[in-house]
Amino acid sequence: MIKPFWTKWQFLFKFRLILGLILLIFVLSFLYLKIVPFGHISYSRDYTSIWHSGKGFIYGFTPEERVDLKSGEVPRVVGDPVYFSVFTPRTFDKAKMTITYRDNLTLDMPIVEAGILVDNIVWRYDLKPVDNKALDYLMLRWNKTEENGHLFLQKEKNYSSLADWEKDLANGQLKGCNDNLADCLAVYNYSPKYNYQIFNYQPSLPLIINQPLQGAHQFYLYLKNEPLHIDFTFVDQNLDLKPAPIKVILSSGDNVIETETIDDANPHPGSGQAEEKNLTIDKRNLPSGVYKVEVKITDDMIIKKINSSVGRLSFINKIWPVSGKGDLTLYTDANYLQVKALNPASLQTISFAGKNFSLSEAYRQFDFKSDDGGLAKEIKISKDNLILENNGVFALSPGEIINPALTKVDRFFSVQTPVKYIVADYNKPSEEEGVKTATVEFNLKDAYREKGKYSFMISVPGLKAEDGTDDNLEIYKINIEFEGKTLWQKIWQ
Amino acid sequence: MAKDLAIISREIFYFFTALIVLSIGLEIIWPNIILAYFNLNYIIVLWFVSGFISLVKNNK
Repeated sequence: MIKPFWTKWQFLFKFRLILGLILLIFVLSFLYLKIVPFGHISYSRDYTSIWHSGKGFIYGFTPEERVDLKSGEVPRVVGDPVYFSVFTPRTFDKAKMTITYRDNLTLDMPIVEAGILVDNIVWRYDLKPVDNKALDYLMLRWNKTEENGHLFLQKEKNYSSLADWEKDLANGQLKGCNDNLADCLAVYNYSPKYNYQIFNYQPSLPLIINQPLQGAHQFYLYLKNEPLHIDFTFVDQNLDLKPAPIKVILSSGDNVIETETIDDANPHPGSGQAEEKNLTIDKRNLPSGVYKVEVKITDDMIIKKINSSVGRLSFINKIWPVSGKGDLTLYTDANYLQVKALNPASLQTISFAGKNFSLSEAYRQFDFKSDDGGLAKEIKISKDNLILENNGVFALSPGEIINPALTKVDRFFSVQTPVKYIVADYNKPSEEEGVKTATVEFNLKDAYREKGKYSFMISVPGLKAEDGTDDNLEIYKINIEFEGKTLWQKIWQ
Repeated sequence: MAKDLAIISREIFYFFTALIVLSIGLEIIWPNIILAYFNLNYIIVLWFVSGFISLVKNNK
């Protein structure tokens, strides 16, 4: 009687022990994946496998209309940009993204970039290069040096090292260039130490911008032995439910000089009741040079008025005039213009650099090009509520234009551009039978993370889903290696 | 033999019950700790199947 019971008990004990161990392994495995004690983990998604299988949680691409999931075996990016998010169980300091893709793009789309969301108010992504065909082309033809991870290209070999070139640049003299160094060099994903100066600068009269501008804007201004005083008047439209904080950052190069903020208690969300807010930046004894002001606000807010003590002021890359008054003249230094109408009532014919262009569809981005080589190109619009963008600056009068940014090897860069030096932080992707693999690194310390997810972006400037062509970027595999503090470092710190 | 199978099926059912309770508990404490990697519906299906087998075997 005892023996069968004993035998049965032993079996049961053994069986329960095995099941208990499986349970323990299950729990410990997920705890390991949650804590990531060694501070290093990688997540991947292989789109070539039947199940699109992967490790970790890489969400699908959005918006749906910019990704074709039906035509091929792998997702095809057909519009710019596309986003995807990655769930991580904890925060990390660095991410290394390896992307395997096939590029079915035409020559007018030479750039592929990947980015991570760093600012959720102005929706800003920190973009890193994946592929740059202009640089790939010039690397084969120009004199190439690679130093400290930087690519240094010279049309004629004047320097033996990038360090020597940087020394000369800091002194304001480059071999083979005239006084205006900005015309002699181009950069990509690289900011050299370069002191922008306006020769024969005369302080101008204070500037009052009465043209309302919607959403976040940033602008350059130039000072020389004069105080800086800027009064902003904002209007919170309260059309959406989200709070609308205001943050204005004054900076010079990489140094933040002053940050002013106004928090929003959001007392009337979605009411449509306009609230006016004022903010002032006042600084004395600033050294001569160019300064940048970033106005970080949501699209529910309007910059109603800017009252600046400095007359040279240019909006960087984007301007979004609103008011309903129309008949507005703007100026830009770039030779192309991207325009999007956010209201069918804003459709019109735009005059850009003396040529007329038709803006015939709302919510669609139109690209207009000009062959005008002049510094300031005139833009005339009869109705506002348009988003105007390019890689240059915008100003309300031609005399206000200042742009300290160096020529960029971007989508609109031509290999015929008469620059003599190019410096880039760029690695050419490896290629095997037409399939390219590129690796980009991101600093996650500044990245925005919500509900455990980092938001990434893949951008092919100029790629449009609605243009009817079959140019696309086929994504084969995405692998992201995250690196952060180890458990022991977290405990000791 | 039939008795052993009844015990095994019952123990497996207990195992899946414990697994579901633990998984849901971990998910409540740290959201997405398991769901990011694994769909709990599979365990629930297995739990249901094992419970059904256990019911049949133990009623014989």
